[in-house]
Amino acid sequence: MVKRKPGLVQNRYRRDTVDHGGRLRVVGVSFLNAQPLLHGLLSGLADDRMHVELAEPAELARRLFEDEADVALSPVAPLATHGGLEIVPGCAIGCDGAVESVKLVGDCPIEEADEILLDAASRTSVVLARLIVRHLRAGKAEPRYCARPAREIVATVGGKTAGLLIGDIALETRGKFRYEIDLGQAWKELTGLPFVFAVWAARPGVVSARDAPLFTSSLEAGLAARPQLAQAWARGHGGDAEAHLAYLNDRIRYQLDERALAGLCEFLRRAAEAKLLPVTELSFVGQDKPAFSPQRASVDSLLDYAADGGRLSFQDAMRLASEADTHELGLAADARRRTLHPEGVVTYIVDRNVNYTNVCTTSCRFCAFYRPVGHEEGYVLTREQLTQKIEETVAAGGVQILLQGGLNPALHLEWYEDLFRWIKATFPIKLHALSPEEIWHLVRLEDLTVQDVLTRLRAAGLDSLPGGGAEVLTDRVRAKIAKAKCTSAEWLEVMRVAHRIGMRTTATMMFGTADTQADRVLHMLKVRELQDETGGFTAFIAWDYQHDVGTRQVAGETGTVLYLRTQALSRLVLDNVPNIQTSWVTQGPGIGQIGLRYGANDMGSTMFEENVVSSAGTTFGMDAAQIERHARALGFKVAQRNMRYERLTVPA
Amino acid sequence: MTARTAGTLDAIEAKLQAGERLSYDDGCALFLEPDFLRLGMLANQVREDKHGDRTFFNVNMRFEATNVCEASCSFCAFAKLKEGAAGAHTTTHEAAWKELAEHPDPRLTELHMVNGLHPTLPFEWYEELLRGWKRVRPGVHLKCFTGVEIHFFAQKFGMTHEAVLTRLRAAGLGSLPGGGAEILHPDVRQRIATDKANGDEYLAAHRAAHKLGIPSNCTMLYGHIETFEHRVDHLLRLRDLQDETQGFQCFIPLAFHNENNSLRKLPEPTAVDSLRTLAISRLLLDNIPHIKAYWVSMGVPTAQIALRFGADDLDGTIIHESIYHSAGSRAPMALSRDELVRLIREAGRIPVERDTIYGVVEELPRAAVPEGALKVRDRMARKRSLALAGN
Repeated sequence: MVKRKPGLVQNRYRRDTVDHGGRLRVVGVSFLNAQPLLHGLLSGLADDRMHVELAEPAELARRLFEDEADVALSPVAPLATHGGLEIVPGCAIGCDGAVESVKLVGDCPIEEADEILLDAASRTSVVLARLIVRHLRAGKAEPRYCARPAREIVATVGGKTAGLLIGDIALETRGKFRYEIDLGQAWKELTGLPFVFAVWAARPGVVSARDAPLFTSSLEAGLAARPQLAQAWARGHGGDAEAHLAYLNDRIRYQLDERALAGLCEFLRRAAEAKLLPVTELSFVGQDKPAFSPQRASVDSLLDYAADGGRLSFQDAMRLASEADTHELGLAADARRRTLHPEGVVTYIVDRNVNYTNVCTTSCRFCAFYRPVGHEEGYVLTREQLTQKIEETVAAGGVQILLQGGLNPALHLEWYEDLFRWIKATFPIKLHALSPEEIWHLVRLEDLTVQDVLTRLRAAGLDSLPGGGAEVLTDRVRAKIAKAKCTSAEWLEVMRVAHRIGMRTTATMMFGTADTQADRVLHMLKVRELQDETGGFTAFIAWDYQHDVGTRQVAGETGTVLYLRTQALSRLVLDNVPNIQTSWVTQGPGIGQIGLRYGANDMGSTMFEENVVSSAGTTFGMDAAQIERHARALGFKVAQRNMRYERLTVPA
Repeated sequence: MTARTAGTLDAIEAKLQAGERLSYDDGCALFLEPDFLRLGMLANQVREDKHGDRTFFNVNMRFEATNVCEASCSFCAFAKLKEGAAGAHTTTHEAAWKELAEHPDPRLTELHMVNGLHPTLPFEWYEELLRGWKRVRPGVHLKCFTGVEIHFFAQKFGMTHEAVLTRLRAAGLGSLPGGGAEILHPDVRQRIATDKANGDEYLAAHRAAHKLGIPSNCTMLYGHIETFEHRVDHLLRLRDLQDETQGFQCFIPLAFHNENNSLRKLPEPTAVDSLRTLAISRLLLDNIPHIKAYWVSMGVPTAQIALRFGADDLDGTIIHESIYHSAGSRAPMALSRDELVRLIREAGRIPVERDTIYGVVEELPRAAVPEGALKVRDRMARKRSLALAGN
C-alpha cells in the first residue's frame, strides 16, 4: 500500500526557498541510467552557472511547465505536451535495440491480452507501449488500458492481463514472465531506429550557447566514470555492480545524434498520428526557430485542428487563448461538441447540494461559507435536517445528493460511514460526496491511505466523488489562495485512486483569483493527463470566482467573455473528457444557456440548494423546467441524467 | 431546410459585404437562423466596422418623478393607476432638485427621467422641474420624457408635439429617451398598450423632436406576445424614420420581464433571444449609429457578452432604477464607473466615457492584455459553423 508519495510532500510549495543566485535551475532524476548525464554537474563542473537538484520523475515536467525549473532531464512526451520547450543538443537517455528496463510482460502473448496494466510513472513509455501493442495487434480493437502501481502490476499479471513495467522493477523481474517484449527491441524492429526516452529540456530562451556544452561535458565525465557510478549505485540502492555497469554500457545510448533524432521524430510523429500526443516540432537550444509547420501556420488552422479533435499542446492552447476570436473559439468548441454529442441532446441532473457542515480549518481566501472551529455560527446538519432535505429531493424527482462540507476535525471516518450507510438504507438516492480535500482530511485524521479511506467510504455507500476544491491545479496559485489545502498532485492522486477502484468523478476549475492563462491551461492539461491514465472523469466544469461579501481574495482575471472563452478552450483541450458543463450558478441562466454554444453539452444540476457560491452573494436559481426551456431555446433536446451521464428520460 | 437557412446566412453576409441594405425577409430569416454564433460574428463585424473596439458608457442617474399613470399597459409593473393607490408616488420639486444637487459623483453628465402619464399635474409643473434642475447643476444633460409622454402632453394640453417640445427645451430639455416604443405594430400594441400613444404617434413625437434638432433614442420591448415578424416590422419602422430625420442616436432592445404585471404567465426571453435580437438590430439598423446593451434589462453577464454580439454601448451607472426592478430584474441597482470600465475591458474593448449626445468625455486605455487579433480572419470558420450539421 502506497501512502503519500514522499515526493509530493517534500515539494509542497517549496518554490524559491533556495537561493539560486541567478543560476539556471536544473533538475535531474535519481535513476541509474541518469547518473552518467548528471555526473559532471553533481561533481561541481558548473556550480557557478547552475543550481542542480534531484526530484521525483513525475515532478520534472511539472517544474518545467510551472516555471519552477529552467532545465530538466525530462521524458520526451512532455516535449509534445508543452510544445515550446527547447532540447539541449548532444545528449539523451536512449537505446538502440534491447533496453531491458522498459517491457511488456504477460502470461499470454502480449498481442492477445484483453487488458494491459500500465505503470503510469512514465508517460513516454506508456505511449511507446501503446504504439507497439497497436502495431502487434495489426488493426484489431485496442485492449483495455488501466493504470496501476508497479508492484500491483507484478502481482496481477496473468491470464489475459498483461502489464507494462518500467525501471528497477523491470530489471528485477527478468525472466519471471512467460512472455516479455523489450520495448527498445520492439521499437528497433518496427522502425530500424534508436529510441529516445529522455532529454535535457529547457524553457525557451533560458539556456545560452555558452551553457549548453556544459551538459555534454557532464556526460563525458559520466561516461568515463561508469564503473564507479555502477559501484556507487550498488552500494546505495542494492543490486549487482557488474549488472549495473553492463546495463549502462550495453543498453543505454547517450548520444543525441542524427539517428537518435530520427528515432525521436518518428516516435512523436506516430504518437501524434495516434492522437496520443499533440503534434509537435522539435526545437533546440541555440538554434533558430523550427521550420514552418502547416498544422500551426495560423490561428485558423489551429482552430480547425482542434475542432477536428487534434490534441493541443500547452503552447497551442495558449495561442488560442490569446489570439482566437471569441466567436471562432465558440464555433470550434461547438463543432467539437457536436462530434462528441451528435444527437443535439443537452442533459442535466436533478439533485440537491447539501453542505453537511460549515466548520472548516482551511480558511481559504476566496470562501465566504466556512466558519472556524468553535465559531457560534458553525453547524453540522442533524439526521432530522438531512431527512427533510433528502425527502424533499426525492419528492422533487431527485436522483442524487451532492454532499460536501468543510474540513471539520470533529467528524471522523466512522461518522461518515454511519451517515452514508444510513442514507443508503433509508432513501433511494445516489451519493455524490466528498471532494478530494475532504478525503485528504480523513486520510490525515485517521492516518490511513487514500485507498483505504475511499474503499471504506465506498463500502458504506459512496457512489462518486465531486471534482470540487481543485481551484486551479498549479501549486503557485494554490499556495496563494488556499495555503492549507492539498497540493495539485495530491488532488489528482485522490482522483487517480478513486478511478482505479472503479469510482467515477468530475473535475472542476475555479478561476479568476491569482491564476493566469498559463495556470488555467496547465490545469486542463493535468486533468487530460490523468484522464488518459484512468478514463474516470465524467465531466469538466469551469466556474469563475465570485468576489463579494465575506471573501478576502481579490478578483483576478474574470468576466463573462473570459468565462465563455475558458469553457470553449476546455472543450478543445480536454479531448478525452466526454462532457463539459456550463456553470449557470455563477454566471446566471443566460450565460449558462449561451455556454451551450461554447462547447458545453450539459447544464449541470438543478441545485435547489447551494450555499457556498451564494454565501458570496451570487444567487441564481433554476428549476428543471427553466433548464429545459433555456436549452430548447437553442434548438436542443433535453434529457435528465444520472452522475454517470446515463440518460434517465427520453430526450425531448 | 438546413441548406435553405445556410444559403440565407451566406446571402445575407454577401449583401452586408456589398454594403446592401437588408430586407424585411432577411430580418425574418435571421430570427430563424440556427447558427447563432455566426450571426453574432456578422453583427460583431458591423459593430467593429462602425466603432472598432470603442465601447461607450456614461455616468448618469435615473429619476422617476411619478409612477401614477393613466395608461394600463399589461407588461408594466411600475405604474400605479391612481394617486393615493398603494405604492403611488409623485415627487415634489424640492425633493427632485435635492436628489440631483446631492448626487455624489462630480462626473455626472446625465439625468434620465421617465414617468407615468399623470392625470392632473399641470404642464408648468414639468417645466419648473426642469428649470430647477438646470439651476442646481446646469452642466447635467436632461434626457427626459419618452415619445409617449410628449404625445400625452400634446393631447392633454392641446398643443402640437412641436409646441410641447419647444417649451420643454426652453426649460432645459436636452434629448428624449427611447422608451415607450414597445412594439409599434398595431396588432400587438392594441393588445398590450391600448391607452397611450399608438405606433404612429410615438414616431410622430420623435419626428417632431428630430426636426427641432432634439436628438432621441429608440427602443423595442420584445419577448412577450409579439412574433419575430413584428420585431422586424418594428425595426424597419424605426429605420424608415431614421432615413428621414437622422435624429436617433441609439437603439436599445428591452427584454420583457414578467413579475408583478398582467403578463406574468408568459416566460421571459432567454439570453440567446436577447443576443439574437441585439445582433439582428445591429444588422438591420444600418443607419442608427449605436446599439446599446442595457445591463438592467439583460443582466450584467449577458450585457458583457453582448459587446461581442453587436452592442457598442453599456448605458451608464444608473444608480436607481424602478421600472425593471418592479418587474423582477435581478440586475444590481447601480454599477460604479470602475465596474463599467472593467466590464468593457474584460470584453476586450476600449472604454469611452461619453455624454448623452455621444461627445467623448474621456477615452480610457484598453486592458493591458487585449483579447488579441479579433478580426474574422478568413472564411475557414464556416467549415466549423452549423450550416450543414444541425445541432
